[in-house]
Amino acid sequence: MKHPIVFTSEQEMPPMAVSLADMGHNRTGSWRYLRPIYSEKLAPCTGACPAGNDIPRIMSLVAEGRYRDAWRLFRQTSPLPGVCGRVCYHPCESACNRKDFDEALSVAAIERFVADECFDLEDEIPSRARRAERVAVVGSGPAGLTCAYFLAKDGYSVTVFEAESEPGGMLRVGIPPYRLPREILDREIELIARWGVEFTVNTRIGRDMDLEKLWEQHDAVFIATGAHRSRPLGIPGEELALTGLEFLKTINVGRSVQIGTKVLVIGGGNTAMDAARTALRLGARPVVVYRRTRGEMPAISEEIEEAEHEGIQFEFLAAPQVIRRLNGQLEVQFIRMQLGEPDQSGRRRPVPIPGSAFVLRADAVLKAVGEEPELPFLSQSLETSEGIIIDRSQELLERTGIFIGGDAQTGPSTVVQAIGAGKEAARAIQSFLRGERKPKAVKLEEALRVNFSYFAHLPRVPTEHLPASERITNFSESKQPISAELARAEAGRCFSCGVCNYCDNCWLFCPDAAIARVNGGYEIDFDFCKGCGICAEECPRSVISLAEEEL
Amino acid sequence: MTTVLTGTKKVVTGNHAVSYGAMLSRVQVISAYPITPQTQVVELLSELCANGALRAKFIKVESEHSAMAALVGAASTGARTFTATSAHGLALMHEMLHWAAGARLPIVLADINRAMGPPWSVWTDQNDSLAQRDTGWMQLYCESNQEVLDTVIQAYKVAERVLMPAMLVLDAFVLSHTAEQVEIPDQALVDQYLPLYQPLYKLDVNSPRSFGALAPPDVYMELRYKMHQAMEDALEEFARADEEFEKFFGRCYGLIEPYRADDADLILVTSGTVTSTAREVIDELQAEGRKIGLLKVRLFRPFPKELLRQALSGVAKVAVIDRNISFGMGGIFAQEIKSALYNVHQRPSIFGFVAGLGGRDITPAVIREIIDYTENHDEPEDLIWIGVKR
Repeated sequence: MKHPIVFTSEQEMPPMAVSLADMGHNRTGSWRYLRPIYSEKLAPCTGACPAGNDIPRIMSLVAEGRYRDAWRLFRQTSPLPGVCGRVCYHPCESACNRKDFDEALSVAAIERFVADECFDLEDEIPSRARRAERVAVVGSGPAGLTCAYFLAKDGYSVTVFEAESEPGGMLRVGIPPYRLPREILDREIELIARWGVEFTVNTRIGRDMDLEKLWEQHDAVFIATGAHRSRPLGIPGEELALTGLEFLKTINVGRSVQIGTKVLVIGGGNTAMDAARTALRLGARPVVVYRRTRGEMPAISEEIEEAEHEGIQFEFLAAPQVIRRLNGQLEVQFIRMQLGEPDQSGRRRPVPIPGSAFVLRADAVLKAVGEEPELPFLSQSLETSEGIIIDRSQELLERTGIFIGGDAQTGPSTVVQAIGAGKEAARAIQSFLRGERKPKAVKLEEALRVNFSYFAHLPRVPTEHLPASERITNFSESKQPISAELARAEAGRCFSCGVCNYCDNCWLFCPDAAIARVNGGYEIDFDFCKGCGICAEECPRSVISLAEEEL
Repeated sequence: MTTVLTGTKKVVTGNHAVSYGAMLSRVQVISAYPITPQTQVVELLSELCANGALRAKFIKVESEHSAMAALVGAASTGARTFTATSAHGLALMHEMLHWAAGARLPIVLADINRAMGPPWSVWTDQNDSLAQRDTGWMQLYCESNQEVLDTVIQAYKVAERVLMPAMLVLDAFVLSHTAEQVEIPDQALVDQYLPLYQPLYKLDVNSPRSFGALAPPDVYMELRYKMHQAMEDALEEFARADEEFEKFFGRCYGLIEPYRADDADLILVTSGTVTSTAREVIDELQAEGRKIGLLKVRLFRPFPKELLRQALSGVAKVAVIDRNISFGMGGIFAQEIKSALYNVHQRPSIFGFVAGLGGRDITPAVIREIIDYTENHDEPEDLIWIGVKR
C-alpha cells in the first residue's frame, strides 16, 4: 500500500463506498480456489464399443452433413462400418446416456448410412514406408480382417490365410445375406486389400499349411480362426441331424441342401435364428425348439423378434433325447423341461419333467446349440479348457510371436468383439515386432453427467423392415436404410457426452467474461476466473471439470 | 408502430404519461416486472424500444427484486435507468431500494400507488410507497397526467445532481388508467433541459474499482451523513429544477403548492389526486364565504419542512387527509407535518384524517365532512377515520 487512506472529515470522502484507487491489480482471479479445466471425457457409447468408435465426434460430423469425414473417422477405429452398421448388437446404444432422457440414439442405423453413402468414394491411401516384417493372419473373419487392416496401415506386409474359397470367415459363412448383403462384405474386404493386405484362400492351417512353417516364414502369426465347431447334442442318432452352421455355410456359399418342408431347429442362439430364417426363405416351415423359455434365449433380441414376425414357430421348454429315421422322415423324441435354480450363467437351469416325453416329426433336423473353437494345429502342450486357450498359454504364445484372438480365443462372441480383439492383436504385434512393451490402455473418465435441461425430447428414428410376407420369399436385406435427412436428424440427437461441440454455453454463462473463444476452442483467463464453477455446471456434456488449485 | 410526435398534445393515460416521460428522458436501461396497475407503463416502453423510438436496453426479469438489481448494475456503469412497479412489487424491491440509495445511484422509479394485500386489492392507497419512506429514495406525489410526465424528467434532473434515487408516485386507476390531455414536450428541449448523465464514478473495465465494499464503523456514519445532506440539497435542487422547467416548458409545480390559502383560518393538506377534488370543494367553500385554503404536498422525501412551516404557522387549524395508515399511530402525512411544526411557536391545531383506503372514493362530500369536522371541533385529534361503517 503506497498511500494509506485516512479520512479526517466527511468532505474528503466520496459520496458512496467506492475505492478511489484502480483495482486492476486485484483481479477476481485472486478469489479462485477451484480451477475449471476443459477435459474431455469418454462417451459411454465409445466406452462400450469394443472397436472404440468415436461416436460423439462421428455424430457431430453426420449432423453437419460431413458424411465423408464421418466415414473416415469410423475407419480409424474399424475397417468394417458397413458390416457393423448392419449386424452389430450395438452395445453403444445400451450405454447411451440419452436412454435415460427419451430413447437411445440409433447409432447402428447411422453407421450403416454413412458406410453406404461413402464406400464408393476413393479412399486416399497415403504411401508410407514399408516395413520389413511380415505377418501372417490365420482366418479372415472380423478379427483377422481388422488385425490385417491395422498392421497394413502401419506398413507391415500382411498375408491372410483363409480355409474357405473367399475371405470373410463367419461374416460370409455364418451370417445370412438378408442380414448382411454380400456386396457390402465384399467391398469392405476390397478396401482392406487396397491397403496391401494379401489373401491366400482355400488354405486351412493344419491341413494345407503347417503352423510351424507359417511361423518360420513370418515374423508374427495371428490366429483368428473363430469358433466353427458345432457343439454336439450328445444324444443317440444325432448324426442324422445337420449342424446349423454347416447348413448356413452351404446355403451362404450358394450351394443347395435338401431339407424338405418340416424342419426342426434345436437351439436358441443366433445360429439357430439364422438357420431357421434361412430355412424359411428356402420354403420350409421351421420350428425352433429350445430347452428354456424365450427370456433365456441367447440370440440378439432383434433377431428373435424378426423371426417371430416372419411367422417362425417356437417350442419352448423341450430338450431332444433321441433322433430316429422313420419312413423317410426323422422323428425326434423330446422331453418337456421346467426351469429350476439359476446356473452359472445366471439363467434358470432347465430340468426334465419325468414322463413327459413327446415326439415331433420332421424332414430335417438342424442342431444349433453353440459353437466352439477348433484348434487342432496348436501344439498339444498348450493347455486348453473347453476349447478356450487360457491366459498363461497366451503369454507363452506371445513370447514366441504367435498371437491368438477373437472367437478362437474367447469362444463364440460378437462381430464387434472380434473387431476389438483384432485391433488389440495388431497393437500387441506392433509392440512385439518393435521390441517394445505394449502400451497400457488408458481408461478415460466416462461422461455420465448430462445436463438434460439443455435438450428437447426427440423421437428415435424408427427401424423399418421389409414386410415379413415379402422378405421370407428371398434373401434380400430385411432392414431398410434411413434417408440422409433422418440420419442428420438422428445424429443431431447425440448429446456429445464428454466431447466439446463448441455450444458456447461456458462462454455465455461465465459471469466474469473470463472465457474467450480462441482458435475454434476456448481459453480461460485465469486473471479473472474466480472459480465459481458455473461453466462446469452449465456445460451440457461434462466436458469441464473442476480441480482444486494447488497452493 | 407507435410514433410519438414530441412538442404536441396527446390524450394519454397516467401510465403512458410515465412511459413518455421516460422516453423523453432518453433512459438507456429499463428493467421491469409486470404488475397491475403498472403494466401499461412497461408495455408502451417495450414497444418504444422495439420500434426504435427509444434506444434503450429492455431487460426482462423474473421479479421486481431482480428488476432493481439489474438497474443497480446498469446505473453503476453510468447508464440512465428506469423501472416502474406497484404495491407488492415495490415491497419485493425493498432490499434493492436500500442498495440503490446507499450506492448513490440516480435511478428513477414510477410507483403506481396500490393498496397492499391481503386482502387483495388493485385500487389505490399510499401504504406501498410510504412503507419505503426510510430507504433513501426521494418521493414525489403527482396530481395529474401532465404532472406525471413532467415529474419523470424533473426527477432525473435532481437525482443525477444529488446522486439519490427518485420515486414518482401516482394513484392507481384514478391517474394510471385515466386519460387526459397531456403536452408531450419537444425532445430537443428536453435534451437541453436534461443533458446526459455524467456519473462521478462508474463501473469501468478499464479502470476497475470496488463498489459497495465493507465500511467499518469509522466511515459508515459519514456516508450516511452524506446521504442525508444530499437529501437536504435535493430540496434546493428541486426548487431550481422546477424553476428551470418552467422556463423551458411553461409549467411548474412547486415542492408544495398552496391553493387559495392566503388568510385562511383552516388549511386542508392533501397529496395525489385528492388534491384535484379538493380544489373544487375549496372553490365552492370560498364562494360561500368560508376562509378555507388548500395545501398540496408534492415532495414527501426530502420533506419540505421549512416551506410547510412557512405555509402553516399562524393558521388556526390544519386538516390533513391521509390515504394511508400507519397502524397503531395514524396517517403518515399528518405525523410528518405535526413533527415538522412541533418546534414552531405559532403552531396550528392539526387534525389527522384517514380516508379513501383501498381505492374508496374521496368525494367532494367526504372532503366537506372533513372540513366541517375540523371547524366544529376545538381540540385537535391525531386520527379521525372517515367513512368507516360502524
